[in-house]
Amino acid sequence: MASDRAAFLTQMVEVLTSTVSFGERLNNMVHLLARHLKVDLALYFALDKTKETLFLNISSQGPIPPHMRVEFPLGQGVVGETAVTRKVRVVHRLQPEALSANAPLEKLHPNFHTLAAFPVADDNFLYGVLVLLDKQDRTFGAAERQSMQLAGLMLAGTLRQAIVQEEAKKRIAELSVLFEVGKALSATVELDELLERIVSTTAKVITARGAALEIIDRATGETRVSSRYGQIPAVCPALKEMFPRPAKTTGPPHFETQSVDADGRTHYCLAVPLTFKGQLQGTLCVYDKFSPNEVYLPFDPENRQLLITMAGLIVNAIENALTFQQVEDLAERNERMVQNLTVLQEISQVLLTTVQEERLLEMILQGLTLEQGLGFDRGVVLMVDEASQTLTGAKGAERAAQPSQAALPAALLSPLPQEVPVADWQIPLRPDQGALALAVLKKRPYHYQEHLKEPGLPAVLPGKLAAREFFVVPLIVKDRATGVILVDNQASGRPLESEPLNVLNMFASQAALVLENAHLYSTIEANNRELLLIRERMLESDRLAALSSLASGMAHEIRNPLVSIGGFARRISKLVEETSPLRGYVEVIQEEVTRLEKLLREILDFTGENLSYYGDHDLVKLIEDTLVLVQRDLDAANIKVVKEFAPLPRLHCDHRQIKQVFYNLFSNACQAMPHGGTLTIRTYPLEKEDGLYEAITVTDTGGGIPMEVLHNIFNPFFSTKDYGTGLGLAIAQRIVSRHYGQIEVNNEMGKGVTFLITLPVAKYCLVKDAGQNAVPASALKAPKGGRR
Amino acid sequence: MKKILVADDEMSIRLLYSEELKEEGYEVYLAANGREALEIVEKIPLDLVILDIKMPEMDGIEALRQIKERRPDLPVLLSTAYGEYRQDFATWASDEYLVKSSDLEDLKAMVKRYLKE
Ligand SMILES: [Mg+2]
Repeated sequence: MASDRAAFLTQMVEVLTSTVSFGERLNNMVHLLARHLKVDLALYFALDKTKETLFLNISSQGPIPPHMRVEFPLGQGVVGETAVTRKVRVVHRLQPEALSANAPLEKLHPNFHTLAAFPVADDNFLYGVLVLLDKQDRTFGAAERQSMQLAGLMLAGTLRQAIVQEEAKKRIAELSVLFEVGKALSATVELDELLERIVSTTAKVITARGAALEIIDRATGETRVSSRYGQIPAVCPALKEMFPRPAKTTGPPHFETQSVDADGRTHYCLAVPLTFKGQLQGTLCVYDKFSPNEVYLPFDPENRQLLITMAGLIVNAIENALTFQQVEDLAERNERMVQNLTVLQEISQVLLTTVQEERLLEMILQGLTLEQGLGFDRGVVLMVDEASQTLTGAKGAERAAQPSQAALPAALLSPLPQEVPVADWQIPLRPDQGALALAVLKKRPYHYQEHLKEPGLPAVLPGKLAAREFFVVPLIVKDRATGVILVDNQASGRPLESEPLNVLNMFASQAALVLENAHLYSTIEANNRELLLIRERMLESDRLAALSSLASGMAHEIRNPLVSIGGFARRISKLVEETSPLRGYVEVIQEEVTRLEKLLREILDFTGENLSYYGDHDLVKLIEDTLVLVQRDLDAANIKVVKEFAPLPRLHCDHRQIKQVFYNLFSNACQAMPHGGTLTIRTYPLEKEDGLYEAITVTDTGGGIPMEVLHNIFNPFFSTKDYGTGLGLAIAQRIVSRHYGQIEVNNEMGKGVTFLITLPVAKYCLVKDAGQNAVPASALKAPKGGRR
Repeated sequence: MKKILVADDEMSIRLLYSEELKEEGYEVYLAANGREALEIVEKIPLDLVILDIKMPEMDGIEALRQIKERRPDLPVLLSTAYGEYRQDFATWASDEYLVKSSDLEDLKAMVKRYLKE
């Protein structure tokens, strides 16, 4: 017996430690027990996952056909009771209720007499129950029971090992999936490629037919990136709709749904959120778990857990890729900017080499169209014509068919390869005239795109200049738009990107400046030419004046003898008898003289009045000269004269006219003060915004001018007995304004009147000369008339 | 008999004027320049002066100024070949300004008007 037992133990150890699968080992163990204990049937009931039922797992008779499947709920029958008590039980058929409680076992052994059950369990866990059935009455001895218990313990150990191993395997499988995913995610930092990998890998590891990913901007709701792989059923909800309404399940957030398509097939979808730092938020979704028999399966909790774990990895990978992309974009943009700035700097240096507008326009167009420059297909410069308020084509050019190989500065100086005729192009500066006019009016650039027609932005490029897309930037100098630059890529069809628009803007401000400089330069040149012309004309009129003065002198010399001839002829005719033939002769003389006198009158008395008597005069002397003339009136009225004369530069004026002004003012003062008073005359220099003036005030103490008169004192048709002649002040005002001066009146009722006259000092009169008040007039002096 | 001074540097004019004025019944004195005219004004209680402007030694305008200084009441008629001196306000001190003409009717009428009373 002992050797028997030893053999059993040896065999048991061999079975349980063999290298076959745990199922096989369990099976062999059941058979070994049957053989060793010499029972008809040995069975193993395993506790299912719910831990509520024990089901027949292994039979010593071999595979279990479906109709032989037997199970016991926990606590029912000997099997169920053993599982609860974890104690060996042996039951005989004849014992009461033995059959009814264990009836299902009849199926397996219709006439068993002995039923023995013992637990397969370790200290804390029950795995199942071993059952032995035999047709004879058996009372298992202590040694047999011991063997059974030992077998149970060892089986439990083996089963635990099996479970642990199974779990380890699963863990390894999961880890290897995640490893795969990780490998896929770390293989690239290119965002597009990464997203493709994410969706394809996700679909593969979950064994889904399709997968999709979308990342949106939380603030704007705009899709940042998205990627799809495999079959995505149309009946499933869109990615955006899955969140932010999280599923109401506990545990990590996820979204699960199923929907039926038109063919009656059920589709499944499982989604988990991708949570990023900052603005972004995404969804990762898998569709329809794949199975070999063309039926789609729902996703199980393990799939869900895996997807959630993967989501974490994916978020990291995408964040890395996004950062990388940003850094790369930044670097690229910087590089382009440096390149653009270099180009702009080179162009602006070349632009500074000329002030000729035509040349500048050519260089600007070269800069716009050269491959080495800004590289647009076509460029046009239009300038604002202030007078007609239109934008007029100045020059246009197309990119050369054969790109120049020269360096940029040299290429800029070469002649335009292909000009675009734009001279007849006129756009009125009104808001309804399209982007070009608007660029000037609003002083901002426009990016015109045919498919993005802004309201009120008609395409206005005429005929062959029509373009589907163009940039127009204003040329702005000192906050004033002087023109526009228009560029397009119509010929090649390349799209215009917003970055060149910035560069173009910078270029335009440079171009605007040099064009304005050129314009100013040409204006100065034109002004110089005009000045020269005026100077020539003045010299010419000087000559004419001299000639006319000579003619006038001669004419005067003729007049005196004519008067004598005519006068004596008249006397003779009175003395000659009416019948005398002399009478006729004398009358001829008389008539001829009259005719000549008439001719002289027409020539002299008319033209003579137009001669002016301009010269450089000392104003104080003119005042003193005039005072002499009114001295009689002043004395007669007992008027005291107070003079406050400051030294003044010489005044370029018609001295006779200026004296007339003073004469009129002094006469008026005399009339205003018939019973005596004070006439105060002051002169002083006066600095105004537009230069130096000589100021003269004439103040009387005549009690002032009545208000109703004051308004009319300069009116030539107004006269009053009380004050002046009326015409006098009107003449004075006319003379002063002819000298580009002003006459003002300051009336103090009850006291008197002050007239203020300001006369501009010609620039050349200010040039000081040693010992003299001022140098005489230069060559610019106005023509002189006759002399007294 | 009213006394008239005619001052003119041209002898033919002096002759013409004196003949015509004598015919009108005036006593006529003659001067060839302003200085001579002033001498006569000092000596003779004249009733009217006819002054040429452009004369040697002293021109009519200066003579006018001095005559008016001495005899402000004495009417002075300027008779000149130059119409444009009318603009020279210094001539405004004269009582009349006449441009010389071979027809002396205007001059005579004017003289008559001044010597009426
Ligand atoms: Mg003369």
